[in-house]
Amino acid sequence: MTQTEIAPVQAQQLLATSSQRLLAIGGVLLVASGMLFGDVFAMFVLHPNNAGISDAMVAAAQLIPAGDTDGIRSQFMAIGGLLENRGTKIDAHSHIIHMGFIGLLLAMMQPWVALSAVAKRRAAWFYILSATLLPCSIFAIHYVGLAYSPLQHIGWASILADLFGAFLALAMFIQLWGLWRYCRGERAADISPAYIGVGNGNGASRALLVGGLLLLVCGFLYGAGFAAYGDLTDAPQEVDIFKAIVTHAAGSQQVMLDQDFAALGKLQMFHGINVAVHAHINEMGILLLLMAFVQGFVQYSDNTRLRWAQLAVLSAFGLPLGILMEIPFGIVGSIVADLFGFTMLVSLMAMLFGLLRYTGASDAENGGAL
Amino acid sequence: MNAAQRILIIAGIAIIGFTMSFGVWYAIFDEHQTLNAIGLNLASGFIHAATGDLSAAMTSLDNYAAVNREYRFEVHSHGHWGMLALILLILGLVFQQLGLSERQGLALAWLLALSAALFPLGILIQTGPALAIGKALSLFGAVGMVLGLLVSAWGLIRGASP
Repeated sequence: MTQTEIAPVQAQQLLATSSQRLLAIGGVLLVASGMLFGDVFAMFVLHPNNAGISDAMVAAAQLIPAGDTDGIRSQFMAIGGLLENRGTKIDAHSHIIHMGFIGLLLAMMQPWVALSAVAKRRAAWFYILSATLLPCSIFAIHYVGLAYSPLQHIGWASILADLFGAFLALAMFIQLWGLWRYCRGERAADISPAYIGVGNGNGASRALLVGGLLLLVCGFLYGAGFAAYGDLTDAPQEVDIFKAIVTHAAGSQQVMLDQDFAALGKLQMFHGINVAVHAHINEMGILLLLMAFVQGFVQYSDNTRLRWAQLAVLSAFGLPLGILMEIPFGIVGSIVADLFGFTMLVSLMAMLFGLLRYTGASDAENGGAL
Repeated sequence: MNAAQRILIIAGIAIIGFTMSFGVWYAIFDEHQTLNAIGLNLASGFIHAATGDLSAAMTSLDNYAAVNREYRFEVHSHGHWGMLALILLILGLVFQQLGLSERQGLALAWLLALSAALFPLGILIQTGPALAIGKALSLFGAVGMVLGLLVSAWGLIRGASP
């Protein structure tokens, strides 16, 4: 089917074609997988990992008075391994979710991508496969290491991650090429698919839209406030605490050293939690906005659809709030964040089932023509 | 697709394509070296202190702080470009429902597109010698994004009301 034939169908029967479905369903699955991975990572890896880093740092400082440089090196090797373990998991978590977001957006933009149906389907597969394999490669970096690598610093998993990253950039440029062709007039007609406010799902769309926009404004202001706090106040700097640690360790001042490590732990927790709150507010905001676009294609009754949307909005506000609560309440905050992460996953899965019901009904009506 | 939507959607896809390319380039040619330098300088700070050379320890820790700051700013640029591009695309899809005139819509689209491109660029520039220019760009980008988003939210809420 050519672009001339397919474009009007896509504009009138949204999510009717395979490229749109692939990107929309693949996008939701990627977001849900990323969130599930984040929940598991936070519960089983993040906290033990932070404790390991802290213990190794204390051990390295205790070796300073004895002049045991080999011992210090081995402690820092251990810290490097722990940091790589944590860093690659955070990167995998954020990349899966972001690739899901982009997949959902590409699905919505398919009517404006002026390429043939076959080219669009292949481009969609190319995107989804690369988007799946990139985070898998990032996850593997810590475990594969430098085994059999032809390079001194970069292992095979990193090489593959870079390759899939390049594929993703290429997939985006293919979509850009299609949009460029549309803008240059290589299209059957001017198309304006409306994703919000059409047919069923308007109430749910509006709830998600307003919730998402409110979260994004909060996220921007939170980020700006946190950056200003660092720039404008006399908050302690990490490097100053490290300088105090090595000075007090060299002078065998154990009481001062304990205070320095307490200050370091407090600073790192404060910084880490605030960055996580900022990132999660924005990501939840974007997720709500994206899910607002597909409500017209979630085949439930209006009330059921609205209930799932309200649960998603509640979870999107509760998740970053739970992370923020970790500062005063510790583990209680983590439990709240994990709980809202789980309820967000449940609502996403419910919406995905609704989407699948819609595509099934659409196929039955069309006899699977697209 | 009207002209304002065209600006937002093409700018959004172009920024995503750019930041993915930047991410690949950065991962291959800079990230591993930077991470090694961070670890090496922090460890050197402790090792110099163990050998009794506190002056060298302080220099190593200052180097650690500088490289660590550079790394954070570079990663933040990459991440912010991606997230702001997503917001451009989302707003591009709902832009017709904001109820703005063509001229207002174009002005808002340009403000958002420029802010999304310049805010992370400003963060990145702050790792080099042009610190003041970087701060000015990131401030312009941050204010532009907040203003643009507030106007969009107002338009959407106004457009949604019966």
